[in-house]
Formats: sequence, C-alpha cells, structure tokens
Amino acid sequence: MLSEILTLWARYDLTARTIEHLTMFAVALTFAFIIGILVGVLLYRHEKYAGPVLNVLNVVETFPDLALLVLLIPLVGIGAAPTIVACVLYSILPIARNAYTGLSHVSREQIDVAEALGLTGNEILLYIRIPLSLPLIAGGVRIAIVFTMGIVTLGGLIGAGGLGAPLQTGIFINIPMLIVTAGIWVGILAVVLDGLAGIAETWLAGRFGEW
Amino acid sequence: MPSPRLFERIDRVELKNLIKRYGDSIAVDDLTLDVTGGELLILIGGSGSGKTTTLRMINRLIEPEAGTVSINGTDIRTVDPVALRRNIGYVIQQIGLFPHMTVRDNIGLIPRLEGWDDAAITTRVEVLLELVDLPPEMFIDRYPRQLSGGQQQRIGLARALAMDPPLLLMDEPFGALDPILRKQLQEEFSKIKEDLGRTIVFVTHDIDEAFRLGDRIAIMHDARIIQVGKPEELILDPASDLVSKLVDADRKFRHIDNLTVRDLMRPVTRRYFFEGGMPIGPALLAMMEDDLGLVIVTDTASGTGILNRRDAFTHRNDPVTVGDVARRPLVFAPGDSATEALRVLKRKKSPFALVMDRETPAGLFFSDEVLMRLI
Repeated sequence: MLSEILTLWARYDLTARTIEHLTMFAVALTFAFIIGILVGVLLYRHEKYAGPVLNVLNVVETFPDLALLVLLIPLVGIGAAPTIVACVLYSILPIARNAYTGLSHVSREQIDVAEALGLTGNEILLYIRIPLSLPLIAGGVRIAIVFTMGIVTLGGLIGAGGLGAPLQTGIFINIPMLIVTAGIWVGILAVVLDGLAGIAETWLAGRFGEW
Repeated sequence: MPSPRLFERIDRVELKNLIKRYGDSIAVDDLTLDVTGGELLILIGGSGSGKTTTLRMINRLIEPEAGTVSINGTDIRTVDPVALRRNIGYVIQQIGLFPHMTVRDNIGLIPRLEGWDDAAITTRVEVLLELVDLPPEMFIDRYPRQLSGGQQQRIGLARALAMDPPLLLMDEPFGALDPILRKQLQEEFSKIKEDLGRTIVFVTHDIDEAFRLGDRIAIMHDARIIQVGKPEELILDPASDLVSKLVDADRKFRHIDNLTVRDLMRPVTRRYFFEGGMPIGPALLAMMEDDLGLVIVTDTASGTGILNRRDAFTHRNDPVTVGDVARRPLVFAPGDSATEALRVLKRKKSPFALVMDRETPAGLFFSDEVLMRLI
C-alpha cells in the first residue's frame, strides 16, 4: 500500500501541490491578518461603525464558500486569485472581530492608569491595548487558519492548484487511493497548523493575558 | 519626545470654585481649596462625596465645568495634559500594574517613552525598588501576577515616582489591602513621605488613615468641603456635628491617665519572634513574606533585641546574623503607666519600645499607635 501511495505521490507530484497549497495559504492568511487587524483597529477607533461593519462581514461569512468562489470568477478570473480573495474575505471577520473586541475590552482601570501616568492615545494603543489583545487576536487567527485551509482545498475546483487539484482528479477519474491520500494529507496539515496556532495562543495568553 | 519639566517644586496648588456635574447630580460643588507645598493633604469623605472627582481634576483626568486649578500660579488648562501628568505621580487602589510588563517595564514605562536609555532606566528602577523596600535583584524581572497585593502596591508607588514628580496624587492606595498589611504600609509610607519631601494629595474614607498620615485633612460631604484643618483642629473644634461624628470627638475624653502600657500595646504573636543566630538573608525574606516591619530577636548576646526591616534590608548581602544587626530597644513593663511611657519615648526620640513581661516579650508599644487608639 505504501508503494502505491508513493507512486501516486510521484505521479501527481503531491510535493509541488503541497508547496502550492501552503503558498496560497500563507499569502491568504498574511493578507487576512493585515486587513483584519487594520479593520479591527479602525472599528475600535470609530466605534459607531463597529456594529454595521461586523454585520456585513457576518453576511459574507454565511455565504457558502463554493458559491463565493464561483461568484468571484467573473470579477478576478479563475485560479489562485479568486481562491485567495475568498479566503481573505472569510478570514477578515474572525480576526477583525477578535481584534476589535480585544482592543475595546481592555479593563477600564488599566486605561485609566495609563492615562493618568501620561500616555497619549496612540501610546495606550501601542503599549497597552494591542499587547493585551494578542491572546484574543491569536484566537481569531486560529479560526482563520481553519477556514483558509478548507477554502484553499476547495480552490482546486476552479483551477487554483494546491492539494484540491489531485482530490478533484481522484474524484473525476475514480482513484480512491488518491482521494484518500490527498484527503488525509490535507487533514494532517490542517491539524498541525491548528495545533501550532493553539500553542502560540496559549503562550500569548500566559504572557499577555489579564489574570 | 521628552516632556518639559513643569515645576521643580510645588509652592501652592490652588483649586478655585470648581464645579463638576454628571447629568443631574453634582459631583463637586463650588469647591475651593489650597494645598501648600510639601504637605500631605487628605481628602476624606463617604462614597459620592466628590473626593475622587476633585483629585482627578488636578491632573486633568476630569475637566471642571467651571473654576480653575493652578499649580504655582499656572492655570493647568494652559498645559498639555500629557506633560502635566508626567509631572504628577498617581497611585490608585486598584494599582493597575500592566500585567504584560515586568516590574522593570512597569516602573520604567514613562522614562522609556521620554527617551531614556536602558541603563538609565534600570538604575532608576533599582533606586525606586530600594525605596519601597523590595530587593531589586529579586523583583525587577517579575510579572505583576507573581507579586502579593502588598508588593504590587509598593510597585505602584515606585511607578508613580518614576519621573520624580514633585506632586503626588493618591486615591485610596491602601484601600484594597487587609487591615494588618494596610497598617504596615501606612507606617512605611509615612516614613518614606518624610524622605520624599513632596506635596501629596491623598484620598481616603478611613479616618484612622487620615489621622495617621495627614498634615491637614479636608472633609468632604455632598460635593462640598465642610472643614479643612490639622487633625487636632478637627477634633477640638469640629465645624459641625458631622465632623465631630466623623472624627469621633467624644472618644478624646477617654482618660489616658488610667491606662497602662498593656492597654495600649500591640500584642505580638509567634511570627514576630526570630532567633539571634538566624542569617540575615532568610530573615529579611521571612519579614517580607509576612510583611513585618519589626521583629523581636531572642537569644542575642545582650538579651532581647529588635530588628527593623530597613536594617535587615541594608545588611541583606552581608555575612551577619539577625543578632548582630538587632538593636537594643527601650523596654517597659506591662504595668507601667501609659503617660509615663509616652513621655520616655518622646524624650528618647524613639518611635516604639518593647514590652517585657518579666523575661518574656509581650508586645510592642508604638507612640503613634497609642495616639491613634486614644483619638
């Protein structure tokens, strides 16, 4: 069985697919992280928009991912681009929401003391609010990691490459072993990445959490 | 960007006709108060009396609707609030140490924002930790969660002093501590206060604390100041029933002549006793653990001695024992007259004496505590 897997791995070049997969994942997560944090900080700065904006992002979130991918094709074409855009759209919400919640829920007395010591608004954001929000932001990123892994795999359907491609191939020309191999491999990657994120989250909670 | 040093010393803080309303309720109603440079002024009153609001108007955390606050004649509205606050120390009951920063980073935060270099910050932090009786080498890298409540409050004070502010605002700084620890910190603070030579405005609702620490006391009720004066003025000449009730003026008639040392001493428990042969390092640790300022040392060459925490702290790295550092205290018997004992303490300029029941230490007799129990 192992030799069968190795043959399939070589024939469908799963190493290259894995690199493609993780590259799309990394690009999407980086954009989602930057945009998510920016949106979170902006919402914290302009509190009155927080409700409406988070609601809109929630609506995006309820869109079935497959439908979103297809809807993006006329806008950004096929392949990696719509896949990454879809990942980012899905991942902004958990990151932005957690960043916003973290920033605005730092305890009143911490902020009070920071003001009284003579920190400016920006210094409070930089030295107090952001560090104390890190555990919550990490939680958001962790959710985004799971979303992104799923959607990147689905991207195989619209020609994005990655590990979704051999899965599609396996389904279309009926190679159960390929489906199983690619499926389990994606699963393992997702579990490992989520586990790493979990470790980071726990560490951040210990280091920056309010107790 | 370093903030300007706004004032080297405080001559006068003037609060003039301050008014602050929250919705329909008035928090501070036409309040006028002068704080003289170098004094510790207590603002005391029940909750909702406006004392905290008043305090927070001095560093512009709250802006008054009407009236002015001026420091050395300068209206503080003309000063940038951030610069103003970096020139005024601030300590609150909840302490508010930043949980993600070490002791060093907490105390050194403002110096860092002011552009000090690392070495200067570390030196400053060490000086301040020494001042609040915490050995820097033990505490500088700890996180707030690794500190007891009393230790946190000491760090809170050190942080407030980081920029060497000539004015200090304190809002019930000892309020959250248990009574024994509170007393201990009050005693230490009143000693530090002398060294600091700063002007302090101190909010409390505890009249004992007010009498223990205050040079002058301003009593607030329903958003107004009803009397300002030295402790004895409030006791001897209360402006209203409310004041006399608050300072419990009736108790002053309790007759000291009938009382003995035993009535007014602080009894000691086991944890106050240390053996003379104990090395100084572990002894200091034990004193810090229990937050004891003074302990009784038995079995020294010259009989029973007293070790105070300052001495233990100074000698903490020396190869000496508790017995070497202990001092010979004044000694009274439990049956001695309290008035006579007080007279002796005053003449010898000693703040306390050991009370010995024949061969056994029975208690500690503190002059300031005796006065506290009488008023």
